[in-house]
Amino acid sequence: MFGLTKSTVEKVLLYIICTIVIIVVIFPLYWLIITSLKYDIDSYVYPPQFFPVNITFKNYIDILFLAQEGNLVKYFLNSLIITISTIFLSLLFGSMAAYSLSKHYLSIMFRRMMLALVLVIRIFPPITTAIPYYIILSKFRLVDTHIGLIISYVSFSLPFTIWLMIGFFQSLPAEIEKAATIDGCNFWQRFIKIVIPLSLPGLAVTAIFGFLYSWNEFMLASILTSENAKTLPVVIAGFISDKYLFWGKMTALGVLMTIPVIIFSSFAQRNIVKGLTFGAVKE
Amino acid sequence: MLPGYRKWSIIFLLPSGLFLIFAYVYPMVYSFIMSFFSYSMLIPGAKPVFTGINNYLSIFNNLAFLNSLRITFIFSIVAIFFQFIIGLFLALVMSANLRITGVFRVFMFIPLMIAPVVVGILWRNLYHASYGVINFFISFLGIPPQIWLGSAKQALPAVIVVEIWQQLPVFAFILAAGIASIPTELNKAALVDGCGRMRIFWHITLPLLKPAIIVAFLLRIIDTLRMFDIVYTMTQGGPGTATKFLSLQIYEKGLRFFDIGNAAAQSWFFLIIVLLIEIYFIRLILRRGTAR
Repeated sequence: MFGLTKSTVEKVLLYIICTIVIIVVIFPLYWLIITSLKYDIDSYVYPPQFFPVNITFKNYIDILFLAQEGNLVKYFLNSLIITISTIFLSLLFGSMAAYSLSKHYLSIMFRRMMLALVLVIRIFPPITTAIPYYIILSKFRLVDTHIGLIISYVSFSLPFTIWLMIGFFQSLPAEIEKAATIDGCNFWQRFIKIVIPLSLPGLAVTAIFGFLYSWNEFMLASILTSENAKTLPVVIAGFISDKYLFWGKMTALGVLMTIPVIIFSSFAQRNIVKGLTFGAVKE
Repeated sequence: MLPGYRKWSIIFLLPSGLFLIFAYVYPMVYSFIMSFFSYSMLIPGAKPVFTGINNYLSIFNNLAFLNSLRITFIFSIVAIFFQFIIGLFLALVMSANLRITGVFRVFMFIPLMIAPVVVGILWRNLYHASYGVINFFISFLGIPPQIWLGSAKQALPAVIVVEIWQQLPVFAFILAAGIASIPTELNKAALVDGCGRMRIFWHITLPLLKPAIIVAFLLRIIDTLRMFDIVYTMTQGGPGTATKFLSLQIYEKGLRFFDIGNAAAQSWFFLIIVLLIEIYFIRLILRRGTAR
């Protein structure tokens, strides 16, 4: 509607609207950052300080080096290990499954059934599987291990990866694969040497969503881990107590958690919409 | 077809299949069986006792559960309604192609990148009754300070606002992509024929946007019904049970009271409701042929 010819008044109005929305969207992030740079005392004053009077890095130093809650570096590494393993495994296994389902070597009925099943799994509210999964993990003695959490994250990311990658694989020209077959490539070689390198843009999008998901996920992490494999979201939630809210520490950790996501996702902004829609809306 | 390709195709499906069986199928079968038993893990050495469909029947007398069901649906419907209206408007704004809309696109993504637990903490600070920024802002409008998260009436709307804030980009960007895919010739032709902009919007943009709207609704329903992280750090379900969403309710049943049988029945009840709603939307999509 606004894509058509515009009068000056209209342009000015659009600029005003955009500015207001940007402020509303950005202000909470700004607030997160400045609260992390304030002494807690200054967070309890009214009217609120919009520009911190006493800037301090005390909160960052506290959580990084002096935390009573334990070694933050360890939890940071936990988050990193779990996130990277999740992305790697779900991309590898997800694209293998997607490749198999995008070809016609299996009967169409079977492939349709698999796709429907995958879609149904995407719909499951996580809490419905979390409790029985926790009980099963405890039977295998996998509670509070990296593996236990990684398996559940990979399984959550698989449906998404499979649906998205099928779209990318179907858009590849069939001639390239035929040529590879004639040159003597078998199924696996064709996949790893030809198809995967050609699908890097698709893999990048799925990787970003895998990152967003496993880096920020809280519910499963809080159920399935207690100390050994605890991730950053669980640590942050642990700062909340009934008596006292450590605004400085909580927001400092929040900032530290958000920075990697913003860096990582800035690489592929343009493709994110495709990921948001599960590949269902074509740009 | 070359020999062995069928075998390879099956092998390629195996790893994913094993993961999904271990993390979804096995737990769900286990939970389905447990939903017919009375089993509390709090009592040491207690064995599950078969009680038939008792757990399911008790759902309908369980006021706490029904309350959670009501809250979850109000939350989902209200949040999605506003996200749709505001998201559609912002998508139209983005289609204007001014210099600022490029900047706008970049900033719009930011809320999505902040972890929901962090979002909960952040807004808890913003909503604070005695030193919160929101009370400060509304004081300029002559509104006295509100209790927000401490009030049984205001807590749910407050959570809805946060959800709208964080997930608005989903609607905005999906609809913007939909608008971008509408051929500009259509709009131009309508303009030449003397159509006003409102008519173009109602008779061209909106009908052609329908598939994108349905996809966005589907995804938002999936995500709003499972709401957990934000409330966990923002209100912890309170005050009282004012923001005790279904996920939180089942979480407490299963992992604080270890009432496994009831938690399993509630999970399956929840799951079936979600599935029925989603199947309706998926059929809409398939009928239109927008999905693969």
